[in-house]
Amino acid sequence: MAADTKTEANGRPAHAGRPGRPTPVGHARERGDRRLGYALVTPVIVLLLLITAYPLIYNIWNSFHFDNLSFGGLPHNFVGWKNYTTMFKSSEWVSALERTLVFTVVTVVFDMVVGLGLALMMHRPFRGRGFLRAAILVPWAVPTVVSAMLWKTMFDPSAGFVDYILAAFHPAWSSIAWLGANVWRSWIAIFIADSWKNIPFVAIILLAGLQVIPNDIYEAAKIDGASWWQSFTRVTLPMLRPALSVALIFRTLQALLVFDVIYIMTRGGPGNSTETLSFLNYQTFIVNTDFGAGGAQSLVLVVLALAVSFVYVRAFRPQVS
Amino acid sequence: MSSSRPVRWRAVGVTLTAAALATGAAACSSGSSSSVAGNAKQTITFAESGLGTEGAQTQAAINAFEKANPNITVKVQVLSSDSTTYLSQLEHNFIAGSSTPDVFESDVTYPAKFAQAGWVLSLKQFNPDMSQFFPTEVAAGTFNGQQYAMPWFDNPEGLFYRTDLIKTPPKTPAEVVSDAQAAMKADKSLKEGIAFEADKYEGAITSFLTLDAPFGGKLDPANVNTPGNVAALKWLHDAIYVSKIAPQAVTGWQEGQVQAQFSSGYTPFAINYPFVEAQPAAAAVKGHIGYIPFPAGPGGTPGSALGGEMLAINAKTAHADAAWKLIQYLTSPPVETARAIAVGDPPSLPSAYTPALYSKAPYFQDVKTLNTYAAPRPVNPNYLKVSSDLQTLFSSVYASSSPNAAAAAFAAGAASVKSDAAATPGS
Repeated sequence: MAADTKTEANGRPAHAGRPGRPTPVGHARERGDRRLGYALVTPVIVLLLLITAYPLIYNIWNSFHFDNLSFGGLPHNFVGWKNYTTMFKSSEWVSALERTLVFTVVTVVFDMVVGLGLALMMHRPFRGRGFLRAAILVPWAVPTVVSAMLWKTMFDPSAGFVDYILAAFHPAWSSIAWLGANVWRSWIAIFIADSWKNIPFVAIILLAGLQVIPNDIYEAAKIDGASWWQSFTRVTLPMLRPALSVALIFRTLQALLVFDVIYIMTRGGPGNSTETLSFLNYQTFIVNTDFGAGGAQSLVLVVLALAVSFVYVRAFRPQVS
Repeated sequence: MSSSRPVRWRAVGVTLTAAALATGAAACSSGSSSSVAGNAKQTITFAESGLGTEGAQTQAAINAFEKANPNITVKVQVLSSDSTTYLSQLEHNFIAGSSTPDVFESDVTYPAKFAQAGWVLSLKQFNPDMSQFFPTEVAAGTFNGQQYAMPWFDNPEGLFYRTDLIKTPPKTPAEVVSDAQAAMKADKSLKEGIAFEADKYEGAITSFLTLDAPFGGKLDPANVNTPGNVAALKWLHDAIYVSKIAPQAVTGWQEGQVQAQFSSGYTPFAINYPFVEAQPAAAAVKGHIGYIPFPAGPGGTPGSALGGEMLAINAKTAHADAAWKLIQYLTSPPVETARAIAVGDPPSLPSAYTPALYSKAPYFQDVKTLNTYAAPRPVNPNYLKVSSDLQTLFSSVYASSSPNAAAAAFAAGAASVKSDAAATPGS
């Protein structure tokens, strides 16, 4: 207090931008504005930090400690890298990783190829194109929980649509149990449900990409004598690069983190043959309440997703020519 | 102009943030440890999952309790009816060290875990008389020799059969197969010979337990790979792949689907819980429902599996005496009988199976018999992990059509059950 009074007594303004005084220069005023801006966003920043940074950091902390609710009375000892080494050594995690990677590659390739085909088709003028474009969005607009439930019902061995169709072809194909009864059939059902939902997403993104390619480039190619295939590989694909990269990044990350369709349709079964990394993580975290091991699993998953995005972003960086 | 008051604004921001943090901190430390005598005026919180008629019945019992104990007010906290969510809601309170709920409903598989964590009060101080309850559910609430939870109601899983199709109930597991085959041959409206839960969920464990003892098996996580357990699981596997009395679709069935098959008249046998009795059924099924323990094979005893709910007290409560009074009231014979009549929850006390109950719902005579056989699931603090291992084990066995693949899946599953059940973590 004494120091403040002294400063005032010295005749120097304690606060440059005080109200009521003429603002000397625009500079100080600007600074005042900036301060107000900071003050206004502070509560939001604090809130965001509390609900995002805090859990993330807490999760990192957890992953290096023993924290399992089934042993809630035990102290949360520091265990070093143990949660990570146990995970890398567990056959369950390694198989889940393999399954997730295979699922990602297969679905992403399939979705991209079929999605591109659909986009090329919808790009051509024909009657009912507007209706088709709107209709194709429907599967994407349905929440995965709903669409997975829908497909689970469709694959029901006694009441399902799939059973009905197959039985119509051949009586021996009726009453086939798809989910939980056989590893391959379970995967096929999951794959169909997943693609049904995600192909439209790829198609719409690529369609938007196709629409911004100027028509005169195609005309120029035609004049130069390019075949359909040549104009597709030399014009369409390179010009579609930005759209392709967006679709690819989104689809890959979604496939890598796939959870809901598995949770609804098979719960990882039969056995744990359809368990993906995210499902295993849910199982460890929520069902087994092992926050140490679950934390380690989720962080590895985050690192994996970041690594994939990084590779993609590098690969699809706009080339400066 | 507002923009010319930066300093004051910042002060406001800081104050608001500090206030928010302080409120949060206060909310986190609401635990209290002083205890209130049972006869003092107080309010206790009771957490339960009951909805609809079950919830209404609990509320009616609590109203009567409050009338009998005017000094105690009971606040009912209805948590999720989904068991996984219910468990995590309870655990959030415990981890935060909250003194509420003072008393709560607990599945039969939770007490060991809660006791190990130090979240529930040992009931030793109240000297409970456990001899009046069915011993199987008492065992589910016991951990390291101490009682932590009181049996509230007892749901034994057993074998349902159609009395019109199966004239004399089967005496052995082999007879179940032959009876099912005969019934399927005689009645073409049947879709299968037996329905049971084989989906990958907790019910796969109880349906297995129902016929484990009949083969002389015992579900001890430390030693799953025993001849008895193998024989029991082989019977279920054979039902799908050898005798084919069960469709492969059972691998996707939970108790709801099993009940639907039975109530619709599609199957002469079903392994399920007593709730089937109270469900609307097809005309052919109505009045033709038999309910027995799964018949014993050589060297076995009749089989049933224990499901049900218990009542326990929060270790941090300040109202232990009042909470105990509420538990005593809810588990007294007339209150349990009333609950059974109103909503069909089978009493945990043999003495609550009264002629009045039988006259309202005769099937409770069968339920009482089954309760004397009901085998509890393994009592283990790491039960959630053990359970998911077991679910994986059963699910992979049921999905392996060849006996060799099934045996390999069984051996692998038994090994992971053993290691997780013996886990001594924390080092």
